[in-house]
Amino acid sequence: MLLGNEAIARGALEAGICFATAYPGTPSTEIVEVLSEVARECDIYVEWSVNEKVAFESAYGAAIAGVRSITAMKHVGLNVASDILMSSAYAGVSESFVVVTADDPSAHSSQNEQDNRWYGLLAHLPVLEPSNAREAYKFIKEAFKLSSKHKIPVIFRSTTRISHTRMPIELEEDIPIEKKCKGEFTVDYERWVLIPAHTRRRKLELLKIWEALRGEDHYVTIYNQGLEKTIIASGLAYTYVREVLNLLNLTNRVTLVKVNMPVPLPRKPILKTLEYAREILVVEELDPIVEMQLKDLAATCGFKVNIRGKDLVPESYELTVEAVYRAVAKFMNVEDKLPWENVEPIKLNPPIPPRPPILCAGCPHRSTYYAVKVAANRARLRNVVYTGDIGCYSLGYQKPFETQMTCFEMGGSIGVAHGLAKVIENPVVAVIGDSTFYHAGIPPALNTVYNKSNVLILVLDNMTTAMTGHQPHPGTGVTATGEATIRVAPESVLSSLGFKVYIINPLHVKEAIEELTKAFEEFKHGVNVAVVSRMRCALEVLRNARRRGVILPIYTIVEDKCTGCMACVKLTACPAIVVEPGSRKPRIESSLCAGCGLCAAICPYRAIVVANKPSENWEALWWGP
Amino acid sequence: MRSYNILIVGVGGQGLLTLGSIIGVACTIRGLDVAVAEVHGMSQRGGSVVVYVRIGEEPSPIMPVGSADHMLALELIEAARYIHYVKKMGHVTVNDFLWPPPLSIYPSRDQLFGEMKTRDIKLHVVNANDMSTKITGSPISANIAILGYALGVDESLRELLGLDVIDKSLEEHFRGHVLELNKSLLRMAFKEGLKRGE
Repeated sequence: MLLGNEAIARGALEAGICFATAYPGTPSTEIVEVLSEVARECDIYVEWSVNEKVAFESAYGAAIAGVRSITAMKHVGLNVASDILMSSAYAGVSESFVVVTADDPSAHSSQNEQDNRWYGLLAHLPVLEPSNAREAYKFIKEAFKLSSKHKIPVIFRSTTRISHTRMPIELEEDIPIEKKCKGEFTVDYERWVLIPAHTRRRKLELLKIWEALRGEDHYVTIYNQGLEKTIIASGLAYTYVREVLNLLNLTNRVTLVKVNMPVPLPRKPILKTLEYAREILVVEELDPIVEMQLKDLAATCGFKVNIRGKDLVPESYELTVEAVYRAVAKFMNVEDKLPWENVEPIKLNPPIPPRPPILCAGCPHRSTYYAVKVAANRARLRNVVYTGDIGCYSLGYQKPFETQMTCFEMGGSIGVAHGLAKVIENPVVAVIGDSTFYHAGIPPALNTVYNKSNVLILVLDNMTTAMTGHQPHPGTGVTATGEATIRVAPESVLSSLGFKVYIINPLHVKEAIEELTKAFEEFKHGVNVAVVSRMRCALEVLRNARRRGVILPIYTIVEDKCTGCMACVKLTACPAIVVEPGSRKPRIESSLCAGCGLCAAICPYRAIVVANKPSENWEALWWGP
Repeated sequence: MRSYNILIVGVGGQGLLTLGSIIGVACTIRGLDVAVAEVHGMSQRGGSVVVYVRIGEEPSPIMPVGSADHMLALELIEAARYIHYVKKMGHVTVNDFLWPPPLSIYPSRDQLFGEMKTRDIKLHVVNANDMSTKITGSPISANIAILGYALGVDESLRELLGLDVIDKSLEEHFRGHVLELNKSLLRMAFKEGLKRGE
């Protein structure tokens, strides 16, 4: 039983990789996380790089020196690495190199749902796409073979529903003991130095490879060849199409073409399909990558076939059985209503409330946001604009915090803040997490100082990459494989850039507010101020407390003292504070309380108190290792 | 090959992914093909979480509405939110635990149960948080209690996955004392479910 990402990691190990890099990002994280866990045992090199660009460059460096390598990132991560991606296509590789992009249709955990198969067309690099987790395991090995054969990087496209689906997977082979981990770099100016004269020659080479890739016919499989109605499906879409054809009892009435390499579309099998078909439906998730190439081929070669695709299959969000059912049924001219009935949905008054993700009970960001808002008021900072960034703390856009007013991409909080500060009168605070700061926050921080804008940078330092499951980063003092390394604290980077840095501890709310007020006062007077708010992720603290037998405080509301003012509810929005329907007073769900004490600090009637006897050293868990 | 769909719903942090994995591994032990589709990352942070467990041959990851043979709900509001995924006369095993989103206005427990009872489903209500607290000292294993209870009330599920396979799967997920606690919790919930099922 392997998660799709684990299957990719296993396949890569079987393919003989010795070098793996990534910056964590949902839904790609577990690929390199799993590799980091077995790195010692398998004797391979694995790292969490500071960002995707560096991850790509490092793995590419290994590959041009002849060491088989892999880098994995989420779809938007490939944007960060896109500069080197484009160049790597021109220069190629000495040993196979696979770039895994885990796309996120429906944007379950992302700022967009871009379709990274476009990058294949843009860079002239092949894209392989599996149809489920089991196939991901087989195809990743294919990707290494393809890369080795054509001496170029290969893009391997997964999606959330492949990366994060578990399936029983029968392993095909062992992980090779003998593999090449030491390479050699051969100086080749015309290849590795992409000055204009060299790059023009490399482009011709690249186009030759591109043409050869179109001849990789075995990446297309045709079932029931020769029927008039044809469905072409790429990647995960194939799984849905097969299920839907089964439901409709139409499996034998259509030619089904399974595309495993959507970019570039292999020519011969597709031409053969165009020869027989009268009508074709292309089913693919997100953008019409296969459809476009198919229409291009049909037009160029003079086929008069009716090609349907995005007019029947949604272009937004992930595919579902229902969506594919409707598309296929319409295409086949049959009733498109699902052949079974579901239970009637529940409609009530008040309605079932939405439940978006929220900051966890005990989350340090909650305390920081509360302190920041109180301190900004005390320092008489009015109409503060808080620019935001990518992480759990993005959830600060919600009430009552409203301390994330923008959220675009990694590091964007500081760059956007700089531009805003140059053109608006409001004070501008850029809010960024520690891991994001290392990833893409340092150049824009330098830019604010160099180009003299008045932006306060607030680094939320929980000493881990929390949202993706607590991976280490340069501020943690450990590497991906658990080795001790140098620790670069955000405050030392910021001080060296010329910021006056305040460090606050949001577990002690009142002191944090005092410090922040001082910081804001100085900021008001034009000083380059940065604040580092340091407190560990509550999920880690709770886990460590469980493992080490440390008892954290649990708070309770003393009913006699509580006036029902609801300050704790309204100012914290803590999921552990519950108001029962019809009740005038809140209650703390003790099983959820993490003991951060923010509500107790806020309560004007001192009605919130510690209900248990915590261990003496409990506070250390919020900062210590 | 027989197909059987299990929908797991609840609030991020209630052990839904673990529950999906426990059932998935149990299927593997039984030699059943299965796909367990999870959601990671930001969606996990206290949000509404759905895990699709589809037993069948090379199943696709997301199950259509009206196709769940059994819904395991760790929380009441979430049970109500996803009820239309359940097949007519399908099973719904729901934790008697209402955890409203912060700052929200929401229907009461009575309203929610009142509506659910009028649907064409086999509704089983269990206080999984209490069961878990009794055995482990906290509601952290409510997911195991729900599974045990569901096995007790649903004969088809029991035929697919017996207690012994779930035990074996638990052995792959937990160790030592925690494993033993979960095994006894599974049994206790199972017995309660069986009593109800009869």
